[in-house]
Amino acid sequence: MIVQMARVRVAGPRAVLDRALAEVQDAGVLHVVRPAVKATLEATPARAQRHLRHLLDDVDAALALLCGAAPARTVPPLEPQSPPLAARLARAVRRQAERLARQLAAVEDERLLLLRYREFFTAFESLLGHELAWADGHAFYVVLRAGAADAVTPLRASLEKAVGAELELLARPLASGETAVLLLVPKPVAAKVAQLLSESRVQELPAPASLGETNLLRAMPKLKARLAELPELKRKHEAARAELREAYEDALLGLRAWLHDRLLVLEARAQAHAGPHLFVIEGWTPRAQFVPLANRLSSALGPEVVVEVVETQPWSRADAPVALQNPPLFKPFEVVTRMLPLPKYGTIDPTPFVAVFFPMFFGLMLGDVGYGLVLAALAVVLRLRSKPNTTLRSVAAVAGACAAFTTIFGVIFGELFGTLGQALGMRALFNREESVVPFLVACVGLGVVHILLGLVLAAVSTWRQGHKRAAMGRGVALFMVAFSVLSLLAAFEVLPEKLFTPFVIAVLVAFPVLVALEGVVAVIELLSTYGHILSYARIMALGTASLMLAVVANQMVGAMGSVVIGVVFALLFHIVNFAIGVFSPTIHALRLHYVEFFGKFYSPGGTAYHPLAHWQPSKQGG
Amino acid sequence: MQVALVALAAALAIGVPALATAWAQGRIGPAAAASLAEKPELSTTAIILIAIPETMVILGFVVAVMILLRTGGGG
Repeated sequence: MIVQMARVRVAGPRAVLDRALAEVQDAGVLHVVRPAVKATLEATPARAQRHLRHLLDDVDAALALLCGAAPARTVPPLEPQSPPLAARLARAVRRQAERLARQLAAVEDERLLLLRYREFFTAFESLLGHELAWADGHAFYVVLRAGAADAVTPLRASLEKAVGAELELLARPLASGETAVLLLVPKPVAAKVAQLLSESRVQELPAPASLGETNLLRAMPKLKARLAELPELKRKHEAARAELREAYEDALLGLRAWLHDRLLVLEARAQAHAGPHLFVIEGWTPRAQFVPLANRLSSALGPEVVVEVVETQPWSRADAPVALQNPPLFKPFEVVTRMLPLPKYGTIDPTPFVAVFFPMFFGLMLGDVGYGLVLAALAVVLRLRSKPNTTLRSVAAVAGACAAFTTIFGVIFGELFGTLGQALGMRALFNREESVVPFLVACVGLGVVHILLGLVLAAVSTWRQGHKRAAMGRGVALFMVAFSVLSLLAAFEVLPEKLFTPFVIAVLVAFPVLVALEGVVAVIELLSTYGHILSYARIMALGTASLMLAVVANQMVGAMGSVVIGVVFALLFHIVNFAIGVFSPTIHALRLHYVEFFGKFYSPGGTAYHPLAHWQPSKQGG
Repeated sequence: MQVALVALAAALAIGVPALATAWAQGRIGPAAAASLAEKPELSTTAIILIAIPETMVILGFVVAVMILLRTGGGG
């Protein structure tokens, strides 16, 4: 249901405005809006907000660098004794953290580069000194890309052709799939070879400049020594970062909470009327919260501050923010409602109806004890891996309800992984494989109930909003749909046949009333309503398709020649069917709600209730 | 011969709407994906839009089943 809101006005001497806002923030129940009265609004303290945001940027950046992706701890807001000093401190910590991050990245880059060299030289370690023995020789170190090992022979041939036979070429495969090539040539032809390599776009591996050696083989000992130094250097930088984190993390977290709180207060203050002597704050609070809020403000700020409920006309209540409140059993299904924009204030929250019909439709479509138990196991795993009050926890609860209905309908249909249940002795109370037409009629009948409920809610909702003519129009539409269905039942002799004529006359009489109340458009809407009822046939269609796929999976056991192969294929097919069986009913149950059911009464466009409260990292994504 | 005609009728009843659904979803899918790339908050609308053409094949399936059952072709 949508929580009843009261519009509240807080007025008092200008001098206590900041204290009043602080109390309102502590109470955490007032959604602050601009006063309805003509008022001079407090000039937005844009400069102060800008400074606070810059400071918050520094704090966030420093925390991100120091704490990484670790979940933020909740630390109470810590007001700095001197904001300028806090700003300088945050900037200094951010710079230190950035410097350490750069140093760590440089160490890692150097380590990766040297490892690449080391890999190259490991391939040629046995040749160490070979190059040195050739006094007037020049060495080239070349890496051929992965899969290009075949290029070694053409490379040798083209080089021999260009510079004569006086060269030595040694190739070794690397673990990465590349090929390391050591090329020794006489110094007089070195320039020509370098040009040829450059023209053929062969990647030459130069000696690392940091080692101060142009000859890679001579650089080898230095390279190994540097590689040995790097872990220690990395540990040193990490220790410095941990020290910085230890010293400033709590202070930064407290400062961040205070900054967020302060920014929220400044935003609320921009909504307040503040004249030379008086301030006025207006906002919405749940009706049940008004008295505690008024008592709190009165006791904290004294009798000079007045807190009162502002009487509003029904039309102005449309501006009220929307907060959904449902019993614990229904609350997880708010996740389905919240996938659409919130309903307008004063209309109907469909969550309780979703909680009943969504898992029922899902269960009717999947309807299998085996699949239901597997889904229940997945729901339990999801619940264990999710935190309270998160979307994932709600999804786990919805999955649990769907699993329960799937299992219940599985028992009714006598299905356990398709027809396996019947083979094991399960008895179907309603065999949907054989009773296709009755199942279809039951599904469409369920659609009639669902759509009629939607029309009832539409009539109630529009009546509550004061649109009495439209409400009566919905009522007549409801009457016509109900009597159309009754006349069909009479035509098929489910009801006494003599009732057919009175029912048809009732529909014909209601028709001009509907047109008079809502115009010709209502006729088109009525026809679409009949179409919507037929749309519930999808429950039967998807259910039968799911059953047939399970039957085919079971038949594979005997159709593959080998029982083992048949069982493996059957299991694979059941897994596929389960995946389809979870996805497809979810989409279609959602569609039946959003298009067919909500389409009758749902009025989106409500503003979410965001009271002025203390900042919380989990709620604000921090 | 009659069984073959019944089977053909049932196949057409589901096959033609299936092609129509595939054609419609083939057009809606890329458009929905492009919209989601720019506005992820439209995911619910995208799901609904993609599911809407499935009504055709689902009703086609129902009609095919009715043809088979009513004419005895299924048995």
